[in-house]
Amino acid sequence: MLRKLVKHEFRATGRVMLPMYLILLVTAVGANISGRGLIGSSYWILDTLAVLVVMAFGFAIAGACLLAFLLMIQRFYKNLLQDEGYLMMTLPVSIHQHIWAKLIVSTVWFILTILAIIISAMVVAYDVGFLSEFFNELLKLLHGFLKLNAGEAVNGVVVLIEGIALIFLAMAAFSLQFYAALAVGHSFANHKLLTSVGCFFAIQFVMQFATGAFFVSADRFGFFRFMNRWSPTPIVAVHVGMLMLIAGTVIYGAIFYGITTFFLKRRLNLE
Amino acid sequence: MPVLECKELCKVYGRIPALDRVSLTVEPGRIVGLLGPNGSGKTTLIKVANGLLTPEAGYISVCGFAPGRESRAQVSYLPERTAIPTWMTAVQLLDFYGDFYADFRRDAAIEMLEHLNIQPRQSIRQMSKGTREKVQLIMVMSRAARLYLLDEPIGGVDPATRDYILSTIIGNYNPDAAVILSTHLIADVEKVLDDVIFINQGQVVLQSSVDEIREEKGMSVDALFREVFKC
Repeated sequence: MLRKLVKHEFRATGRVMLPMYLILLVTAVGANISGRGLIGSSYWILDTLAVLVVMAFGFAIAGACLLAFLLMIQRFYKNLLQDEGYLMMTLPVSIHQHIWAKLIVSTVWFILTILAIIISAMVVAYDVGFLSEFFNELLKLLHGFLKLNAGEAVNGVVVLIEGIALIFLAMAAFSLQFYAALAVGHSFANHKLLTSVGCFFAIQFVMQFATGAFFVSADRFGFFRFMNRWSPTPIVAVHVGMLMLIAGTVIYGAIFYGITTFFLKRRLNLE
Repeated sequence: MPVLECKELCKVYGRIPALDRVSLTVEPGRIVGLLGPNGSGKTTLIKVANGLLTPEAGYISVCGFAPGRESRAQVSYLPERTAIPTWMTAVQLLDFYGDFYADFRRDAAIEMLEHLNIQPRQSIRQMSKGTREKVQLIMVMSRAARLYLLDEPIGGVDPATRDYILSTIIGNYNPDAAVILSTHLIADVEKVLDDVIFINQGQVVLQSSVDEIREEKGMSVDALFREVFKC
């Protein structure tokens, strides 16, 4: 069922995100052309047009980021807690599957948005020599990898995996903060949206307070003194740092996941 | 085994009781009218049975389960509002229902769409309000469910459409299943009902078969409703 939920979620969101990526790409091509002598042209109309196209590219980047963010919130709010919720929340699927479907799809769109922006930036910067230069650098990087010993190669791959996992988890935890606030807010009988906003800030305050209290306690129990005395090799320090960040993000996300699940399961009150 | 059973069910909105110690039982094979004036608790009861509202107290069992994933696989629910995503076309909606409900009869749905001349490639957004309601009803009645919970299926539509909706319900529901139909338009639905439940201010004031009402009280359900809920 999760696979089916994800499929329909992609269908619902793709019709919004894919045209946005197309706009990003078109404005990137426009900005590239503008950069090839149109800006600063002796014809003011061409100069103005080029500046406008470059500005449109800037707006397209901001628009893509904003759209991915708003869509993440809007899909959860509209699809589960508004009129469509009467259909979605009566499907024979679990609340966990609903949340995972929303999380997976919004995280994928976040990552695709970052990739689309990187690709469009490359399109803007592209000139005849750019691609050959890019692939030359890539080849040099690969040659560099071949010179690494087995230990360095394994560590490099593991750090890369840790980094990717951290990005995915951080984005999922980011979305879950909003899901939790909406789920709590919509358990109330009245002023659901306003209460959701209030809940978001209240949750943020509590989480910041709890994080501060955690670090104070860690200091009191000598965690930082221990870390100062400990002198690992740089790569071990990187692994430990990454794993601590991953663990922290998982705990942070799990708290919001727990809140969201509890309120959707036990306190659901659709208008 | 009853398809719907409630015992001392309570639901409160703020301080206002929407369901006040509701106890009732609905057996399979019956078409039941859940009748009451506006704000009497009909929609609340149906929403609680679907797990869309959490009751404060009491017990509710739907097809032998507490409202949840298992019960939802056996209940076909028509909400009182348009809940189908309006960006979808009728064909996408058929795919959607087919994906999630094992008991969805796609052929029956297509036949009903064709009968009503509804363009399968037209988006729901482009359809009139009445057509959207028909599409939603077609999806709901194309399931071979054990319990159909229909909230105001004839509210807000013209008399000709009302007749079509009622004939769709009668013609498509699984005879081993039960249909609970909430409305305050008694005269229109009376001819299809086996049983009635009168509900007022969150309390069940009467549960009886239509035949009993006619034989014992010597009046129609509509006449009894007007007498019980006289303002």
